[in-house]
Amino acid sequence: MKRGLLVALFASAGIIACQPASQAVKQEKQTLSAQAKTQEKVDKAQLFRKALNAQDKWQKACSNPTQIAPEGVDVAQFIKEMKETIKYPKDGKLVGDWKKGESLALLPKEYKALYGTKGGSRKGNCYACHCGDPRIIACGNIGPSLRGYGNKGIDPKLTYDRIYNSWAQVPCSTMFRFGYHGLLSPEEIAHIVGYLHDPESPINK
Amino acid sequence: MRKVILASLLGGALLFSARAESPTPEQLQILKEMGVSPADVIIEEGREYYHNLKGTTGKTCASCHGQDGDGLVGAYAKMPRYYTDIKRVADIDLRIKSCLEKYVGVDASGKKGRKIIVPLAGYVATLSNGMPISVELKHPEEKRLYEYGKELWFKRVGARDFSCAICHDVLAGKRIRLQKLGAPVRDKLYAHWPAYRISKDKLWTMEDRIRGCYKSFFLFDPDKGKFDFKKNWVKKPPFYIEEIIALELYMKRAANGAKIEVPGLLR
Ligand code: HEC
Ligand code: HEC
Repeated sequence: MKRGLLVALFASAGIIACQPASQAVKQEKQTLSAQAKTQEKVDKAQLFRKALNAQDKWQKACSNPTQIAPEGVDVAQFIKEMKETIKYPKDGKLVGDWKKGESLALLPKEYKALYGTKGGSRKGNCYACHCGDPRIIACGNIGPSLRGYGNKGIDPKLTYDRIYNSWAQVPCSTMFRFGYHGLLSPEEIAHIVGYLHDPESPINK
Repeated sequence: MRKVILASLLGGALLFSARAESPTPEQLQILKEMGVSPADVIIEEGREYYHNLKGTTGKTCASCHGQDGDGLVGAYAKMPRYYTDIKRVADIDLRIKSCLEKYVGVDASGKKGRKIIVPLAGYVATLSNGMPISVELKHPEEKRLYEYGKELWFKRVGARDFSCAICHDVLAGKRIRLQKLGAPVRDKLYAHWPAYRISKDKLWTMEDRIRGCYKSFFLFDPDKGKFDFKKNWVKKPPFYIEEIIALELYMKRAANGAKIEVPGLLR
């Protein structure tokens, strides 16, 4: 009884954003002299610091204890600057193919569980924070549920902009700026907009 | 050995469920009722190293700090702190590494080093069980690093615009997937670190925890352009750097007064 309970309790699937060391298997070349090793360590520390210092000015404005209210900048100006970063697909189509969008929104694991075939991507990771497709149970509750999102009459352009650069609508939002950071291309974002708006998408069915 | 204990405790299945929900207090209670914490074996390993591990100097930890850790009772409650012999603020990991290399004469670098340092850290931390965390900020270096840690806690950066505070102040109590986000600062969670992670069958020090969390930031080298999974991902800070120790100082200072109960038991 106890055993069954524990197994059930601990074995529920879920993929977390904050992942530990496992796959970072660094091959240490045994030929490296102690000195070269020290140098390598110094380089790694410097690289990490460089990455930490690559903060942009909007991130800086959001780094106060509130975390969600920009400081030291004019909010209207902040939004204006963020809007200016948004780029659109070359063909101008903001609503793409929902099936492609689904594959970008789901992790490979989730995709396989649903369809038994290869697909999915680490790029979107939407279900880390949102629920939506009711078949995906391991979904987060950080953002609002996207269930039936396409039936609400929201302008797809707003959705596009929201995913490209959420900070153009909600400064300092916890939802990161997918297009701005290049995590998703304009075409990919259009496909995800399709996934959210298309009546055939599992989000809306 | 450890795996055998775990497997018999939990029917084996647990070992293969690499990702799972945080255990509730009731679940942990069940483990406690079973009478063994799987972490005990690792702590025992640490105790063994403490008394018997010898390097080029012929000394052991016990030669300097006494049988059964007599001289280290309460030491962990005050870490991280400034140490004059190494002229640095050290957390438990770096303190032990320095002792191993300077006084015992054992190479404690890299992955091999972690295999000795982590059990020792677990053992030394248990010597402060029941005592309140009491991090003081006396030395100027301690003050400087505390302020730096606070800055890093709130610093939003990387291709995901994350900060520690986003997940652990703003979103605390919410779930990423099925993972509940804790509030280490507000809820003084430092009191149960180092912690045994059931899903990994590993003891983790706070250094391991912070490195894991930084991986989720998607930090990148700005000179190489934008973030890229394969070509431009600065995954984790190297062990023992001052950024990690600064964050520890910030979080542990916030946990002052909390009673140390280690090793913690986490999913
Ligand atoms: C790190 C968490 C996080 C991730 C990952 C995330 N979101 Fe969000 N999302 C949020 C939060 C929080 C909000 C609402 C408040 C805000 O913007 O601050 C939101 C809002 C939204 C909204 C507006 C909802 C409404 O009702 O107005 C849409 C649409 C959306 N997200 C889509 C997506 C899609 C699609 C993805 C994946 C490509 C995604 N999100 C990934 C956190 C996230
Ligand atoms: C994307 C969200 C996210 C960010 C950003 C993040 N963490 Fe975490 N953190 C997590 C998750 C999820 C867990 C729980 C993992 C688990 O239970 O194994 C966690 C666990 C922790 C814990 C252990 C809490 C406990 O229960 O004892 C500490 C301490 C911690 N993080 C510190 C940090 C620090 C310091 C930073 C910044 C460098 C940070 N985190 C950034 C998601 C995050």
